[in-house]
Amino acid sequence: MTVVGTPPPALPVRDKGAGRALSPMLTRLAEERATGVLVREHGVLHLAEGRVVHAESPLAPGLDVLLTAHGTLAATAWQQAAARTTGPLLAAELLLRSGVLPTGALELCHLDALYDAGYFALAPSSTPGRFRYDSTPRLGPLPSVPVVALERETLRRRLLLHRLWPDPAADTAPLIRADPAAGRAPANPAGPTTPATQAASATPVTPRQRAVLDRVDGVRTATDIARNLGRQAFHTLVDVRRLTAAGQIAPLPTAPSAPPPPPPLGQVTTDPDIALLKRLRDALEAL
Amino acid sequence: MANTETALKEALTSIEGATGVALVDYTSGMALGTMGGSKTFDLNVAAAGNTDVIRAKMRTMEMLGLKGGIEDILITLSDQYHLIRLLSSRGGNGLFLYLVLDSGRANLAMARHQLKRIEAELEV
Repeated sequence: MTVVGTPPPALPVRDKGAGRALSPMLTRLAEERATGVLVREHGVLHLAEGRVVHAESPLAPGLDVLLTAHGTLAATAWQQAAARTTGPLLAAELLLRSGVLPTGALELCHLDALYDAGYFALAPSSTPGRFRYDSTPRLGPLPSVPVVALERETLRRRLLLHRLWPDPAADTAPLIRADPAAGRAPANPAGPTTPATQAASATPVTPRQRAVLDRVDGVRTATDIARNLGRQAFHTLVDVRRLTAAGQIAPLPTAPSAPPPPPPLGQVTTDPDIALLKRLRDALEAL
Repeated sequence: MANTETALKEALTSIEGATGVALVDYTSGMALGTMGGSKTFDLNVAAAGNTDVIRAKMRTMEMLGLKGGIEDILITLSDQYHLIRLLSSRGGNGLFLYLVLDSGRANLAMARHQLKRIEAELEV
């Protein structure tokens, strides 16, 4: 058996500009009105007839947290409902039927949670997504969202964060209080212009941001703070990026690590993965 | 308590001169629901842009040390009124109703009163 030394040529990639789809696979699933569960690196999307009915991400607080954190619903009521059902969506529907929760409140919290988790689920990932056809997700009484709407909103959110402060380091790293008087931390990107930054550091901290600032302790990340406050993770990212831009907080500097090793060449997945086959189909189509 | 779609529909049908309405989250600028609008007037864009109006006003109040909360904001154009009403009682989740009125047909005081009622029904 001969060992091939040269790396295989890169697979042709679809034109990024075409449709600006965040996930070509998701677009196709929407077109074929698929029902099932799309598992991506940072989150899970539940599709029913090509529409997103539910999203979950370990980086975003779930519907339960959003509902119970501000007294919309008693935590015990949620626990009872969750114990009697198999998923947060069904638990919410049970609460709706039993009249514990008003429709509008639940709808809004559901949409908040969906777009929030969807933002992370559609974040750029290093591994291909995986779709499981499954008849469990269905169009229930709660509003569902077309895939294009979720993609559009996710892109808009990404741009919004980028405009506030272009360095994503603070999104994932533990956060520390930075002394605004001590000047900028050296690890900052050559992003915003200096006059704008100086103006920002003079702006007062809003009560919302103050709550975030009070929870910055060198251990918690933005996600931890969001869960602690019962707020959406994306909203917390907005506050975190604004505070970073104002020089109030900074990501905990990590020891300079070696650049990530290049992905091993010729890596073979033993799993006859549908996602892989679909990527192959994409590549062949693009030829 | 009305669901979002009912509330938006009610705003659009019961308020004289209303041409568009949106329920918007002002931290992210996302419209959680829109109704009305036209090809030339994209409510999603208007919603996102008006979050900046609210933020700017809040920051100004902060700097002035004003303690009151914003009830509503009125913007008058030559042919339109834009009415922004903040939802008052949803804890950490800041939402506002955004209503576009044709200034020729609308009764501003009445519209403001009706929007207040719709907001109260949407209240949690």
